[in-house]
Amino acid sequence: MPVLEVLHLKKSFGGVTAVEDISFSVEAGEVFTIIGPNGAGKTTTLEMIEGLQSPDAGQIQFGSLSWSKNSEQIKVTIGVQPQSGALFDLLTVEENLDLFATFYPKSRPAAEVLEMISLTDQRNKQVKKLSGGQRQRLAIGLAMINDPTLIFLDEPTTGLDPQARRNIWDIILKLKELGKTTILTTHYMEEAEKLSDRVCIVDQGKVVTLDTPAALIDRLTKEREVRLSMLDGEAAAIETEKVALLHPAVVRTNREGSSLQLWTTQPEDTLYELFGFTKDRGFRVEQISIREMSLEDVFIAFTGKEWRD
Amino acid sequence: MNSSKQFFKMFTAQIKMMCREKQVWFWNIFFPVILMVLFMIIFGGGSGDSFKAKIAVADPQPNTTSGMLLEQLRQIPVFEFKEELPVSKEQGTEWVEKQDIDALIVLPASEDAATMQLIVNKEDEKGAAAQAISGILDKFIQQANLAAVGATPTFSMTMDSVSSGADDLSYEDFLLTGMIGLSVAQGGLFGMVDLVEMRRRGLMKRLRMTPAKMGLYGLAGMLVRLMLGIIQIVILSLIGVFGFGASLHVNVFSLVIAFFAGGLVFNAMGYLFSSFSKTIEAYMGMANIASMLMMFLSGVFFPLETLPEWLQPVTQILPLTYFVDGMRDGLIYASGVSSVSFWIGMGIMLLWGVVSFLVGSQVYKAKSIASAR
Repeated sequence: MPVLEVLHLKKSFGGVTAVEDISFSVEAGEVFTIIGPNGAGKTTTLEMIEGLQSPDAGQIQFGSLSWSKNSEQIKVTIGVQPQSGALFDLLTVEENLDLFATFYPKSRPAAEVLEMISLTDQRNKQVKKLSGGQRQRLAIGLAMINDPTLIFLDEPTTGLDPQARRNIWDIILKLKELGKTTILTTHYMEEAEKLSDRVCIVDQGKVVTLDTPAALIDRLTKEREVRLSMLDGEAAAIETEKVALLHPAVVRTNREGSSLQLWTTQPEDTLYELFGFTKDRGFRVEQISIREMSLEDVFIAFTGKEWRD
Repeated sequence: MNSSKQFFKMFTAQIKMMCREKQVWFWNIFFPVILMVLFMIIFGGGSGDSFKAKIAVADPQPNTTSGMLLEQLRQIPVFEFKEELPVSKEQGTEWVEKQDIDALIVLPASEDAATMQLIVNKEDEKGAAAQAISGILDKFIQQANLAAVGATPTFSMTMDSVSSGADDLSYEDFLLTGMIGLSVAQGGLFGMVDLVEMRRRGLMKRLRMTPAKMGLYGLAGMLVRLMLGIIQIVILSLIGVFGFGASLHVNVFSLVIAFFAGGLVFNAMGYLFSSFSKTIEAYMGMANIASMLMMFLSGVFFPLETLPEWLQPVTQILPLTYFVDGMRDGLIYASGVSSVSFWIGMGIMLLWGVVSFLVGSQVYKAKSIASAR
């Protein structure tokens, strides 16, 4: 049974439709990531699930619980790290955790949470003196102070440097080890690809596609882009291009001076033949690369929008 | 976790936040103290040295009348002579021009032409000193006229000021209690900026995602502000009493009632402002306007009677008027609970409080950020 089930959510503000039709379900223990361009309806969707906004239509079920009947129980079983951080700046790290702990009937010991978010050394520091990454870790810490089964992380790594981002990935992976279910939104494709069990791409208030990162990439065309750069000048590149075009797997090519680009559905086979040819002719290949398809390509293919971060 | 423990944690957390916020101390303690000290120094002035006017006398053609008048003038205590002896009219006029003296009195030139001339600087013509001197001189001439015809005045007047409880009521007492009222009121009016800040930073939303009881949080905040109010009363009273010799006659019952009523009303007004304000600037603007208006129209610094007639009805609807009155009842008149006007005042304040709170919560609801479900 899914821990969260969302059915045909709909929400508009004035005349603007923010969420048109969103449905998905989240299984226990998975990291479920929602990505989409700005204004796609991610935040509105999350706020409806978190109980901050009521949907115009549709259903939200936490197992057998729903907001209309069991709001107190739901609040106890979920933990939320909002995009804005939302911390008490004038309290220390530990005081923030202690205060939030009193809101819940049962809570995880502050020391344990501090350990998980690696803020034990900063426990007595006022929040306003923390770095961006530390603040974000504390926000995640507050989201797990009640030992929730379902945790919402809304862009936890936005604006952080690579090291701080990696620290947060570690926390998310730890939560997964503990068997928690995480619903994540992010601006970073690499992050979605690395952490998620399943990715849900949202655009214009609708779910565009939903699957594991590997399956999504697989679903894209099988073409791979191969780049070759020849050391023996333009003539060698022209000849190699001719040979490449004869291969049945090669769809098209492009040449600029001595560097060659080709798209093939069987990169290994194509390269084997090409290297046979260059070896025969004594052409030297300076550089070679095969570009892997990534979630970014999936995103662009499904939304038609450039990804920027 | 039970409610009382939650309330206690919320309370201690808010106390800590208040103590760590320097702005709170500046605006709630330091600023009122400075304001009060300034007003006391400028307007208190101590009752010992009362009004004095510096004058000179010119006696162009000395004669018996002028000699007699001069002798009489010397008896008037508020006149301080720059030169004991009469000076020339030119010399005296020059002093007036230079504002070395407040006025020059020119004595009659002959025994029959009994006209005294008063010369004051044009710039000071409407000033208090010039008015007072001319008033005194007028009275003086009347007396001289009566004496000249040998009559004794039938009517006379004496003046005494009274106050209901303590008869040693001074400006210091008046100002001290006014400042206390103003500070406590401002604590409430400005204190709710926390709500705006919390909303702006998403903390309101964050707390609503937890099972935290928001009512308890608000109550804890209110209690913290009331405590700050008590600290204000104590500090201002100590400075007023020991620094400026104010004397207090405390009626604890009136004081406590007025204090709580005021705490509630001005917190409710702050709450109302916060419901309208998206930004801190907007909130501060509203709180400042309210506080400035009431500061001058509620008898904080000067008695209401000094305001023009047409403004009086306005003063009668402002809650600060009744709060300051209530504080004075509790702190210096040692009266209050026994008088009807005290309770009418409390009633008007409460009306303000209830209306502000109800409108505020309606606005919060209508904005629907608070009404997720």
